[in-house]
Amino acid sequence: MSIEQRPTVPTIDYREMEKSVELSSIAHEENEELLTLNMGPHHPATHGVLRLLCTLEGEIVRDIKPIIGYVHTGIEKICEDKKYWGVVNAVDRMDYLSYYFNEMAYCGAVETLIDLEIPQRAQYLRVIHLELNRIMSHLVWLGTSALDLGAMSMFFYCFRDREEIVDLFEMSSGQRMHPRYIQPGGVFEDIPLGFAEKLRGFCKRMPTRVDEFEELLDRNEIVLQRLRNVGVVDEQTLLDLGVTGPLLRAAGNPWDLRKAHPYSSYDHFDFRIPVGTIGDNYDRYRVRMQEMRESVRIIEQALEGLPEGPWVAANRKYVLPPRHELATSMEALIHHFKLVTEGFRPPPGEVYYAIEQPRGELGCFVRSDGSSKPARLHMRDPSFVNLQALRPMVKDLYVADLIATLAMLDPVLGGIDR
Amino acid sequence: MPYNPGDDVVLVQRGPSPGGAGGAYRAFGETLRGLKQTFQRLTEGTKTIQYPEEKVPVYPRFRGRHKLHRFEDTGLEKCVGCSLCAAACPVDCIRVVADENTPENRVSAGERYAAVYEINMSRCIFCGYCEIACPFDAITLGHDYELSDYNRSDLIFTKEMLMAEPLDRTPLRTAGE
Ligand code: SF4
Ligand code: SF4
Repeated sequence: MSIEQRPTVPTIDYREMEKSVELSSIAHEENEELLTLNMGPHHPATHGVLRLLCTLEGEIVRDIKPIIGYVHTGIEKICEDKKYWGVVNAVDRMDYLSYYFNEMAYCGAVETLIDLEIPQRAQYLRVIHLELNRIMSHLVWLGTSALDLGAMSMFFYCFRDREEIVDLFEMSSGQRMHPRYIQPGGVFEDIPLGFAEKLRGFCKRMPTRVDEFEELLDRNEIVLQRLRNVGVVDEQTLLDLGVTGPLLRAAGNPWDLRKAHPYSSYDHFDFRIPVGTIGDNYDRYRVRMQEMRESVRIIEQALEGLPEGPWVAANRKYVLPPRHELATSMEALIHHFKLVTEGFRPPPGEVYYAIEQPRGELGCFVRSDGSSKPARLHMRDPSFVNLQALRPMVKDLYVADLIATLAMLDPVLGGIDR
Repeated sequence: MPYNPGDDVVLVQRGPSPGGAGGAYRAFGETLRGLKQTFQRLTEGTKTIQYPEEKVPVYPRFRGRHKLHRFEDTGLEKCVGCSLCAAACPVDCIRVVADENTPENRVSAGERYAAVYEINMSRCIFCGYCEIACPFDAITLGHDYELSDYNRSDLIFTKEMLMAEPLDRTPLRTAGE
């Protein structure tokens, strides 16, 4: 093809793109003055590269429009070009605070597609890491949100405890972030020696740490003033918008996929679902704090009942043979070669697999056309859906409360933009 | 079946209403209680690590800079240039060009050897798939994580660099630590 014949790439002028952003029109009263204010994308209080177009009347937010896409990385498209085995690395990097959940949703979808039985030990190991990840994500939320409310020391306390968790991640998987621990068929490695001890110590400390945090924040007058009865949205509006996770539970709806559709042996554990009453920011805060405690309980139970056995399925068609077999068995070597160079081929079909992420329902949709790469991969990211609830939450609030509400919404921009 | 979690639901506590006489009390009382909590943390000592001088030891499983291995007894290279690692690499940052071993020029234990072996460290995401893919344990990920450089081209590690013993910059934790 000569240069002239090449299809031209449509160029979008930045100014034109800006003009395409519609501001919903609000009836102007005679003596009312509305001001459109741009907040972000590089604003420390937006928790990422989120741009908020606020229509203000004085200091009161009358309308708000979140504009997203600043960290769009096209991961879903990248996944279409990777073998099923290699996609784990790419989905890891979507929501950078809940990487184990991304891996789990994807692997769960693929396992459903190829109908693979996962050994009990792998399921328990997954649960341990998922719940650790949930605590870690909530700790980052708590630290940064408290920072928005003016509580500087909370940030340091939360990151001190987060450090312990990422340390555990490094110990078991080798990396603090984007661990690549869960693979289709199980997990990559068993937990190392000394991991259980360390984890037990952490489980002992963590509830007292949550107590400390609560002592600092729960009845603090500033926190109460900023959170209580602020940003109330009723359950029905949230359901209409498709909001899930702690936001929905704070409004009193006990929807939790871990209980509603147990996956990865969650039905073996005894844990409770904290719910709020009216769905204001204070309820959202309390629900997440309580969830951390429940997660610790799940980890303790999973560690107690951790069954012996393999940590990865033994199906050679889909899972790499163990390393020691490579030197002795020709058959294992052939399987290894085939899986590494070509990958496995799931039967054509499509699945949607949903799990409960720290922010709500994370669903992974995979469509297979029978080749060794997914034909389409889509993630239903809870942050993306939950962000729609920002407008009903902050309408007619002060700008300062908008910051607090956004913090309690806990969006992760890596997950929103993907 | 409709979803009914039953007894598993717990209602979280609501805090007191802000403002009023209680608010005035809390502005002092609760703040003092919080301060008590903060001062108690003084006994914990510092958690900050003075990074370039002080380094966090990494765990044995940590995935850092790669290393290509030789057989200890014969000194021959373990890598046979099969390119499996390049096929497994999700970001395509490994380049392997294989060549035949001859009796005069014997480099590896197999029939072929890697004449060119390059890893582009600025692309590598340290996933460790190359290590898993290699059937001969020729490549492993080491513990060195301080890899920054001034030039992008300097980050393309050649075979000689990967063969060399890595600098011992990073302390290693013992398994039980
Ligand atoms: S660690 Fe991963 S990205 Fe890096 S060279 Fe190996 S396979 Fe490629
Ligand atoms: S490092 Fe291993 S996988 Fe890569 S070319 Fe050499 S022998 Fe093959």
